[in-house]
Amino acid sequence: MAAQMATTKVPEVRDITRIERIGAHSHIRGLGLDDALEPRQVSQGMVGQLASRRAAGLILEMIKDGHIAGRAVLIAGQPGTGKTAIAMGIAQSLGPDTPFTALAGSEIFSLEMSKTEALSQAFRKAIGVRIKEETEIIEGEVVEIQIDRPATGTGAKVGKLTLKTTEMETIYDLGSKMIESLSKERVQAGDVITIDKATGKITKLGRSFTRARDYDAMGAQTQFVQCPEGELQKRKEVVHTVSLHEIDVINSRTQGFLALFSGDTGEIKSEVREQINAKVSEWREEGKAEIIPGVLFIDEVHMLDIECFSFLNRALESDLSPVLIMATNRGITRIRGTNYQSPHGIPIDMLDRLLIIATSPYTEKETRQILKIRCEEEDVELSEEAHTVLTRIGLETSLRYAIQLISTAGLVCRKRRGTEVQVEDIKRVYSLFLDESRSSTYMKEYQDSFLFNETQGTQMETS
Amino acid sequence: MAVQCWSNILKKAKKTALVHDGKRKIHYLFEDGKEMAEEYDIKTDDLIVRKWRKKNSLGAQGQWEVEVGDSYSTAPLQDDLIKESSSNPVLMRKDTKTCFQWRVRNLPYPKEVYDVSVETAERCCIIRTTNKKYYKKFSIPDLDRCQLPLESTALTFSHANNTLIISYQKPKEILTLEQDLLRELKKMKGTSEGDVDCKTQ
Repeated sequence: MAAQMATTKVPEVRDITRIERIGAHSHIRGLGLDDALEPRQVSQGMVGQLASRRAAGLILEMIKDGHIAGRAVLIAGQPGTGKTAIAMGIAQSLGPDTPFTALAGSEIFSLEMSKTEALSQAFRKAIGVRIKEETEIIEGEVVEIQIDRPATGTGAKVGKLTLKTTEMETIYDLGSKMIESLSKERVQAGDVITIDKATGKITKLGRSFTRARDYDAMGAQTQFVQCPEGELQKRKEVVHTVSLHEIDVINSRTQGFLALFSGDTGEIKSEVREQINAKVSEWREEGKAEIIPGVLFIDEVHMLDIECFSFLNRALESDLSPVLIMATNRGITRIRGTNYQSPHGIPIDMLDRLLIIATSPYTEKETRQILKIRCEEEDVELSEEAHTVLTRIGLETSLRYAIQLISTAGLVCRKRRGTEVQVEDIKRVYSLFLDESRSSTYMKEYQDSFLFNETQGTQMETS
Repeated sequence: MAVQCWSNILKKAKKTALVHDGKRKIHYLFEDGKEMAEEYDIKTDDLIVRKWRKKNSLGAQGQWEVEVGDSYSTAPLQDDLIKESSSNPVLMRKDTKTCFQWRVRNLPYPKEVYDVSVETAERCCIIRTTNKKYYKKFSIPDLDRCQLPLESTALTFSHANNTLIISYQKPKEILTLEQDLLRELKKMKGTSEGDVDCKTQ
């Protein structure tokens, strides 16, 4: 037995920690407000836009309260003034338990689904139901882990895990995913763990008291726990949050939950939805479930047409409706699907229901600050002069263009084996990549030599 | 009376029967949405399989849970996760005419190691081993359904061929209930061999 115990070493696999990619808004971690909802100048990745952030903070409180359903908010402002950033900030401050569904206005135009169906699904994805469910877990102390690599070097690994309680001992066969997560969690003999049988999630509870003597082998923060009692397999009630849409999908097919994985869900009958609504409110009255109204964020909302707006008007009246946040960068423009002009391309009756938050262009100081945050996010060192030049570029062209230049200039700098981006590097990429206004000027000058310009006069329809 | 109550539930359930493969198979659909399937041997009228299926709280169909008979767990490792090794002890129930009977296979230890007791308060039986290798708590659903008390005198166990056999004498009420049920089932027009449409599905 003792000899077997010695073989329990888990081979060190390469770290499987996920590498986060850097997105346009990955530096945003919240709205940057203090407890009194006063915005701090620079906080949690947010810079400036004090009034709009404060307004967003109030909306956030309303969402957290969860009492008010069907409110709609519009964030309007010029391109690159942080509309999406504010929405992301709200999402981040809400935390993982409140559903936040984001979609772009153009996403609802699909050939497989009607526009209103796509909107209904988005609405229902933004409403969470917190419900208790029973799951099977395995809880025990690890006696031994044995992982065999196939002799050929390729193919699936097989393994065995021996777990015990004070009363019993059982050997389990391990699949390859399980082996991976066991080695990721660095589970060793003597650890007390729980495994969720359905999902395979492993939780380390601590080390068994019987192993307390090898204390020096581990960090000071190691917790010691008793070896579990009774049976290894237990039924446990866990609380989890599912969206109304997920419940719809489960109930709209006879073949149950498999539809969740097939992706293509198609349209869901309204009878099914009504049934679910009735059931959910029954659960709520019985205290079995709790409804968590979330947020539906529609970016580029001017892409929606008149039918969608009329549907939204109606959908917002339901008491099972989330808080709707929309964003647009349009001024007075045509409402899609009509010949009428309207502010933001949104019909007046819809605008009447909205709380409108305006964002304003950034000042020089704010632009400088944002560029600094982005440099940290993209891991690029910028010299003081280069920073000033980049800020200038940001003010004269656009903030987005300046941000694009950060990582390209970083690359140029690395190629010449520099450690800090200098003004030359910025100049270099500035000459390599055109910004929008220089590109337009260039086009105007050389339009005649481009293809299909023999027939002058007719402009391309772009709206 | 509680026994009466369970037999009423059975009577009200939608039943579909068919005879196939030398077995009489009956599918029950209860009013609360639960399903039960039973298989009886045609010649000996022994209960071979009884399993249950119910919908989970979100409305998705669950897996069949075996109460009596083999739980065919020979399926390969699902989703690359975790499964009990086939060398572990397995508990299955296989009734005789007069007893509820459980068999625990793959138990190589001598008879002195085992201790089987009835916990009347918790309404379950517990198998313990002095070498701390096996422990199992199980209930007797038949008695729970009829709300009959558990008697420790009805329980006996023996060990042979790496198998621990636990028997629990069926009480009178259960015996009469089972005989009545079997008589009812035989009266049903059990469609003989071949496919039938299952009305309860």
